Amino acid sequence: MTPPPAPSLLDPTVGGDGAIALPRPPLTPEDAARSADRFRVHNARRHGRRWTLLWLLIGPGILAMLGENDGPSMISYAASGATYGLGFFLPFILLTFAMAVVCQEMAMRVGAVTHRGYGQLVLERFGPMWGWFSAGDLIFTNLVTLIAEFVAIRIGLSFFHIGAGVAALLGIVLVVFTLSGGRYWRWERIVLGMAVFNGLFLVAAIMTGPHWGKVGHALLTGSPFPGGSFNTLLLLVASTIGATVTPWMIFFQQSASADKGLTPKDLRHGRYDTIAGGVLAAVFGCGALIAGAALFGHGGSSIDGLAGAGFPGALKLVSGNAVATVFALGLIEAGAVAILTISASTGYAVGECIGVAHSFNNSTRKATVFYGANVGAALVAAAIILIPGAPLLSIALNANVLATVLLPVALVFLIMLANDRELMGKYANTALTNRIGLAIVAFISICGAAYGIDSFLQTVHLVS
Amino acid sequence: MTAAEEQELVEFLERDQLVADTRRPVGRMALSRRISVALWALRVFVVLVSVMVIYTFVSQLA
Repeated sequence: MTPPPAPSLLDPTVGGDGAIALPRPPLTPEDAARSADRFRVHNARRHGRRWTLLWLLIGPGILAMLGENDGPSMISYAASGATYGLGFFLPFILLTFAMAVVCQEMAMRVGAVTHRGYGQLVLERFGPMWGWFSAGDLIFTNLVTLIAEFVAIRIGLSFFHIGAGVAALLGIVLVVFTLSGGRYWRWERIVLGMAVFNGLFLVAAIMTGPHWGKVGHALLTGSPFPGGSFNTLLLLVASTIGATVTPWMIFFQQSASADKGLTPKDLRHGRYDTIAGGVLAAVFGCGALIAGAALFGHGGSSIDGLAGAGFPGALKLVSGNAVATVFALGLIEAGAVAILTISASTGYAVGECIGVAHSFNNSTRKATVFYGANVGAALVAAAIILIPGAPLLSIALNANVLATVLLPVALVFLIMLANDRELMGKYANTALTNRIGLAIVAFISICGAAYGIDSFLQTVHLVS
Repeated sequence: MTAAEEQELVEFLERDQLVADTRRPVGRMALSRRISVALWALRVFVVLVSVMVIYTFVSQLA
């Protein structure tokens, strides 16, 4: 006789001793708000309105992917194009976004099945020490990345002769404005509307008039392979990975999927959302690289030389004012959207680890810590960019590298959670997903370590 | 909120989706010694590489 299956850890009708059915707990305003969103999903599904259903269920995947097409990422892609032209990095961007889709699908699935965020699950399943390590890594990389987002806005605005103070103020006002509705749905739709303008990088690429035959050749063959400084190549490889798969994306998509109210019935649409986000982000990221490649052969290889005037200024000299304007607007958009999504991931992580309310479906009074962490992270980053003489491009590229270096730990915990049959039941990872996931962890670890060790040895003059 | 209104709202949520249920801790996973060692090794590895990256960044600023 086979033993009965173990009760799921998530089943609220089963008590801790596995026997007693619990009464339904009282509803909160957060439940009521989420229920209103689920009512529309329920209706669309019942009446077979496929496009409405898709519209209602997209969001976290596209926002995570386009949020990661942020200021430092776009600068990193453009720097790759300016340094090496079209070639290896175009298909490499596609590869990194394919990796991102695999990781983000796992985050979405765990969030939809467990209705819990990543920080909460790591804390509860692996203990407070690992939970706080994860949250600490996230808060640290988020702060560095947020600085880089304000830097991107500052670079974009400086093209229009607008100063750093306005860049800082714009970011803070946006965060406060989007948080003011007390509904996840409202926040998500505002940020989605802004994220559409990530397409400006594709427009900029088209306007530079690239040789499409060379673009196709580079995409298919990955050649020419970059030459020159090995350390610069490692920096751009590590920062390109950090531009597509990062710890905050995992925290954000899992927590946002739970906050949106996704359930196992929505997994198919969650996958569409994640794949659509990945495709859009890859296309727009390639756009930034192609636009940056216009500088190749025009001093584009001197990355530090671009830090002062920034890419828009350099593009103006080579491709004209219109391209530069579109690129500058793109940088402002990329920085602004990322400030919103990265601040949100900080709020989710802090709220989940402390164990207090952490949902956009709460009022500011009910979720003070969540909203406070959102605004606080943005405020700290905004204050730092006002420091005169900050090395802008260096901060942007190193923010991505740090994210790459710290990512393997976050990914390993995500894979362990997605394999946890007590939590995930039949929705746990397949063997194939595990093999791909572990290959991604190994690849990212090697790339991050290669840059870190090589740079360190050069800095201490152990290698030339 | 009346009982009828509450019942209507609950119909569109899964039972384990309610805030009160998501606050219920899911319990600790038993980690084998091998997995614990592997996690610590990975932790030490990323901290060491992070220190190298930060040191390089700060040196370049000087």
